[in-house]
Amino acid sequence: MRREERVNLGACDAAWKSLAAGCLLLGLCLTPRYDTAADDQVRFFRENVEPILVGRCLECHGSEQKGGLDLRTKATALKGGESGAAIEPKQPEESLLYDYVLNEEMPPKQPLSKKEIAILKQWIEQGAHFPDKPLDPFAASTDKRAGYDWWSLRPLSSAAPPEPAGIPAAWNKNPIDRFIYAKLADKKLQPSPPAKRRDLIRRLTYDLTGLPPTPVEVEAFINDKSPDAYEKLVDRLLASPHYGEQWGRHWLDVVRFGESRGFERNEIINNAWPFRDYVIRSFNEDKPFNRLIREHLAGDVIGPGDPEIEVATTFLVSGPYDDVGNQDAAQAAQIRANTIDEIIRATSESFLGLTVGCARCHNHKFDPITQDDYYGLYATFAGVNHGSRVVATAEAKQAHAAKLKPLQETQTQLEQQKRELEQAVTARADQLAEKLQAGWTRPAIKRTGTEETFDPVEARYVRLTVDGVDSNPNGRTGYRIEEFEVWTAGAESRNVALAANGATAEGKSRVAQDFDGAYSARQTIDGRFGARWIAQGPELTITLPQPETINRVLFSSDRSGAAGNHSVATFVSEYRIAVSNDGKNWTEIVNSRDRLPVNDAHRRKRLFDAAITKGEHKQLGDLNRKLREVRGQIAAVAPLPSWWVGNFQQHAGPYHVFGGGNPQKKVQTVVPASFSALDRTAKPYRQEKELPEAQRRLALADWLTADGNPLPARVLANRIWHYHFGTGIVATPSDFGFMGSRPTHPELLDWLAGQLLKTGWRLKPLHKQIVMSQTYRQSSAYREEAAQVDADSRLLWRFPPRRMAAEEIRDAILQVAGKLDKRRGGPGFRLYRYLQDNVATYVPLDEYGPQTYRRSVYHQNARAARIDLMTDFDSPDCAFAAPRRAQTTSPLQALTLMNHDFTLDMSAALAARLQQESGKQNSVQQQVRRGFELCYSRAPSAEESSACATLIEQYGLRAFCRVLLNSNEFIYLN
Amino acid sequence: MSQPTWINRRDFLGDVYTALAGIGLGSLLSHRAAAAQSWTPGRNQTHFPAKAKRVLQVFCPGAASHMDLWEHKPGLDKMHGKPLPGEENLVSFQGKNGTLMKSPWPFKPAGESGKMFTTMLPHMSRHVDDIAFIHSMTSKTNTHGPGCVFMNTGHATEGFPSAGAWTGYALGSANENLPTYVAIPDIRGEPPNGKANWSNGFLPARHQAMMMSAQQPIRNLQLPSSVTKAEESASRELLQFLNKRHADSHPGQSELRARISAYELAARMQLSAPEVSNLASEPASVHKLYGTGDENPLKAAYARNCLLARRLLERGVRYVNLYCASRASGVDGLLNWDAHKTLKPDYERHCPVFDQPTAALLTDLKQSGLLEDTLVLWTTEFGRMPTHQEGTTGRDHNPDGFTCWMMGAGVKGGTSYGATDEFGRRAEENVATVWDFYATVLKLLGFDHTRLTWYHNGLDRRLTDVHGHVIDAILT
Repeated sequence: MRREERVNLGACDAAWKSLAAGCLLLGLCLTPRYDTAADDQVRFFRENVEPILVGRCLECHGSEQKGGLDLRTKATALKGGESGAAIEPKQPEESLLYDYVLNEEMPPKQPLSKKEIAILKQWIEQGAHFPDKPLDPFAASTDKRAGYDWWSLRPLSSAAPPEPAGIPAAWNKNPIDRFIYAKLADKKLQPSPPAKRRDLIRRLTYDLTGLPPTPVEVEAFINDKSPDAYEKLVDRLLASPHYGEQWGRHWLDVVRFGESRGFERNEIINNAWPFRDYVIRSFNEDKPFNRLIREHLAGDVIGPGDPEIEVATTFLVSGPYDDVGNQDAAQAAQIRANTIDEIIRATSESFLGLTVGCARCHNHKFDPITQDDYYGLYATFAGVNHGSRVVATAEAKQAHAAKLKPLQETQTQLEQQKRELEQAVTARADQLAEKLQAGWTRPAIKRTGTEETFDPVEARYVRLTVDGVDSNPNGRTGYRIEEFEVWTAGAESRNVALAANGATAEGKSRVAQDFDGAYSARQTIDGRFGARWIAQGPELTITLPQPETINRVLFSSDRSGAAGNHSVATFVSEYRIAVSNDGKNWTEIVNSRDRLPVNDAHRRKRLFDAAITKGEHKQLGDLNRKLREVRGQIAAVAPLPSWWVGNFQQHAGPYHVFGGGNPQKKVQTVVPASFSALDRTAKPYRQEKELPEAQRRLALADWLTADGNPLPARVLANRIWHYHFGTGIVATPSDFGFMGSRPTHPELLDWLAGQLLKTGWRLKPLHKQIVMSQTYRQSSAYREEAAQVDADSRLLWRFPPRRMAAEEIRDAILQVAGKLDKRRGGPGFRLYRYLQDNVATYVPLDEYGPQTYRRSVYHQNARAARIDLMTDFDSPDCAFAAPRRAQTTSPLQALTLMNHDFTLDMSAALAARLQQESGKQNSVQQQVRRGFELCYSRAPSAEESSACATLIEQYGLRAFCRVLLNSNEFIYLN
Repeated sequence: MSQPTWINRRDFLGDVYTALAGIGLGSLLSHRAAAAQSWTPGRNQTHFPAKAKRVLQVFCPGAASHMDLWEHKPGLDKMHGKPLPGEENLVSFQGKNGTLMKSPWPFKPAGESGKMFTTMLPHMSRHVDDIAFIHSMTSKTNTHGPGCVFMNTGHATEGFPSAGAWTGYALGSANENLPTYVAIPDIRGEPPNGKANWSNGFLPARHQAMMMSAQQPIRNLQLPSSVTKAEESASRELLQFLNKRHADSHPGQSELRARISAYELAARMQLSAPEVSNLASEPASVHKLYGTGDENPLKAAYARNCLLARRLLERGVRYVNLYCASRASGVDGLLNWDAHKTLKPDYERHCPVFDQPTAALLTDLKQSGLLEDTLVLWTTEFGRMPTHQEGTTGRDHNPDGFTCWMMGAGVKGGTSYGATDEFGRRAEENVATVWDFYATVLKLLGFDHTRLTWYHNGLDRRLTDVHGHVIDAILT
């Protein structure tokens, strides 16, 4: 609506006048009056006007220039946009900007307050002062978005631990406790007393290893009276190889590690597991995390020829990507952009805790991240491609080549001999052409219908034997048949090859395991055209319900003719048809030899077959046999390991910002560079010159791990805290931006990050510092008065109880049942059946064998595969990073845990164990006691014992064990 | 102001339902928004009065052709064999395109509205007066997997919650003895991108669809054969005893009681679900109407799934995803509607499978009165080209124009909204998006699509992403 029209509307006009009067009044009362001295104008602008322009206008009228209006400088503001000049200095009533805000047309969703409107009016009246430099929308945080001064972008503070008054002595030792206590004291909360030893060892053992403590370990810890009993326990668990399995699993969540490609084809990836082992190994070795970050981004440059380091770049390519392929160039470009976007998100969220992906189409709406920042990263990753690469040392590569060389030479020689022999035969064959062709009297066969008539013959069985396929004269398989009709002789001829009437058809077929009828031979006798049998062998045998006198067959791959020459209807070319009454003795009744060949290739094949001598035939057979042998030997040479680590190709710029995220809209150019938001703290870089692709990734890695960059250490320290306490100091571990949550203990977070840097980015000292704290060791008992103030124990007045994760539940079940296979590393196991027929289907298994009894971290996690217990207990689909697991409760969990075979198998195994381990008397009471010790790390009460014994006496030990595995106490930790 | 308000967990874990909704961060942050609007998800509350209480979504994967099924294009008859004006050298998903190709079957007026309708779907033609067609749908991808996921979740990448999951999250259960959301895959397999189409995404796991069909019961529903009913009931009693003692000694942990309730719910589900699947209890006339005994096994199987869908809906399942056809097999158009090479014989196989059973289901819903508060959606992931693919008699993928339709609760029947150009190449009039489609669906369910959100990895996520306008023109 144009301005003139608007002000002419009567009702609006009246409202406008009264509003204007009101504003004027309010303006006079509420806003500070400055005189017109230049300094005051500067101050007035900075304190009053800039927050409004930046916070409420620049989102659209900054770099986006909506409606052509850019309010970042005086010049562009005066020039205005499509509706004309936005500001007439000293004349607010003539200024469009003032008019729009006054009429609440701008900002569109939430109008300015009367006070803000008055400020703008005064500012225009005074001449609309602007600073010389353009306004920067990111300059300062507002209530709508984060700016450069956002808390998480600031340098790490070195605040000393507080010294709260009245802190108990035990809490005054570990700095962590002093930070926690101080916040509790602020809220007049007291911490809880220390946890019972039984609870503590369960808590700690699950936390550090993901497994339950054994009854012996529990007993020993409870009875250990030494002052360092707990510390010894901590040290033992941190040194356990199971530590890496538990904490490595956490990291795999963060980096969205998955072992299928995702999207439509979702093919499984069988060579990504070395990365999982690398992560576990790195955690167990306590590899400095800054090194891990560098290896993740540039392992191929840091450790070329060292598989243990090169493997780390799996990180870049372990996300989902679309590999269907697309001939539409614009769509193909979009898909490639999506693939790189996925890498950008994974990188920025994992290491920086910033949702950089939101700056793909426009500057980030909430955080100070520009599109330039985003496309700088795009340039950084432009040479990364998903896929496998040989990862081996130089020595291994040489040894491998040396083994292959003689074999490959033999192969080349044999191929040469074969070619020469075939050429000799072909030369003679041409001379036979005339004679042979005279015998080809019948028309060539046709896809739309090939008919054979013959003298009436009684038959129960009809067999088609294929000697050639129209697309390949040497092929005998891969052809398709939609219908194969067998007609009776005489009047009222009937097609008797119909499944509906009891006929059957047999022939090897391509198989679709999720729908077995898809390509089966039954398609040839279902009476419907279009859907075809896809042969994987040279024979089709039709069995009639009873013997019939027949004189005609008719078969086709494309009755309608719609397919033309297309390979969807690849057909038979050379064939024989035989009949039988008993299925054993066959009589050939017709063949294709007197038909014209379907094309020239077939013609030449027939001539070749006629020309070859017996001797040559044998010679050719020998050569083929030798070739098979040498190819077999080549295949038998152990291949060099090829892992899913990505392929890196030099990719030349220039790189552009894509307008609106659309690769077809190239806007300004960008180069690989650091994030502008951190320029104030970490030394920035810009790669203006074209550098090797690897140098771009390395520069990013170096910048991430540089001293001044506060985010990676802060984000990492928070992740560690998050997994120990269930919630991070920042509750959104991969989002430290405006939309994420704020830290409950910012000084503590920085202190922890500082500790991490002090110990050279090693995690184990930080773990120890945390789990040794009184905060970690306190009881989880509920206290009403504290819960009134802080229900979720975010301030940690108690240790927050938690439900175990899916992996912990499954591993604990295996462990207590005595079935856990503790073999580490190597290819994973599967709890699904993998079906592949062009696309992949993952079918959850109903029964698990002992080969699946390994720790859950070794499960081959495929995308979009729902797997009973794992999925039901919130193991995430690795389509996205899962920096924080959900903890949900649903009836599905109950169905799975009560009824799946796994529970029954494990219940039986646990029952057998209880029988074995309940002493000489082997009484029911002892069995119950042993069950409680294994599952709950405690003895039963008398009442519990008798209730359990009743069930055992009636229904046996297995019933009792099934109850234990389903019980709450088994899967909740205190 | 910008600091998230941490809601006292017990405020919204006051009863079992919300406790079951989980205590993830997403729910904490989203409940914050919801609480401010005095609306609580999962408690059968809506933003405003709803027209629809439940949804049936029929999905024909493979990109069912709009100009061969729903939108008559006389321009194709006139220009058959001529190049597509302005796009003579069009290269699309599989490659080069040939000339314009008319639909292999004639269209005839149907219903009182006289809408031109394909003769390939004679049963469906009887419903045109109740249907609101949206002929101007567009997609942002031309690839099946992302396309199906986009059509179901509003996002073309995997990992987002499907419309059914959002509905379950928003409304909660209407029959606690049955799943809230059910996906019925076709006998021929799962659709492109499989289970991602009915995923809970980042919503709590309980919002995923339970997969079942007439051929395949819900997983883990049956009591194992080696456990007798008596053992089961004694075991549950002991479990209850142990869990109750444990919960009593751990006050302030509502999850413990929620899990006890979840076991009770599961037990009730074990009794109710087999009853729903018992199609034999339906009279012979109903079986005949649907065609469950058809000699074509694919049609019979789909007909049984249609009948199952009706039984689920009438017993209070909120959202049913019913698939007719499945994935890409490498043989284009064999297992689904992806007729790249031989459109005519392909659709002569698919149409009869779809036509009678779907039409019967609609008739049945209407006759029983269920249609009054049931919203029926028909969807596919995108459309097909007006041209034939070079060297074939099929059509390639076309994300720039296609048809979806709605029927039932709150939908103005006999409407045709939007249109593609004269050949069906591009949506031209009232261009609509998947987001508009779901903004409309949510409105009918009583929700403002901009206010149904869940915090995830940096954003308050929506079914409609950051887009969507309600298509008021097709609403009563």
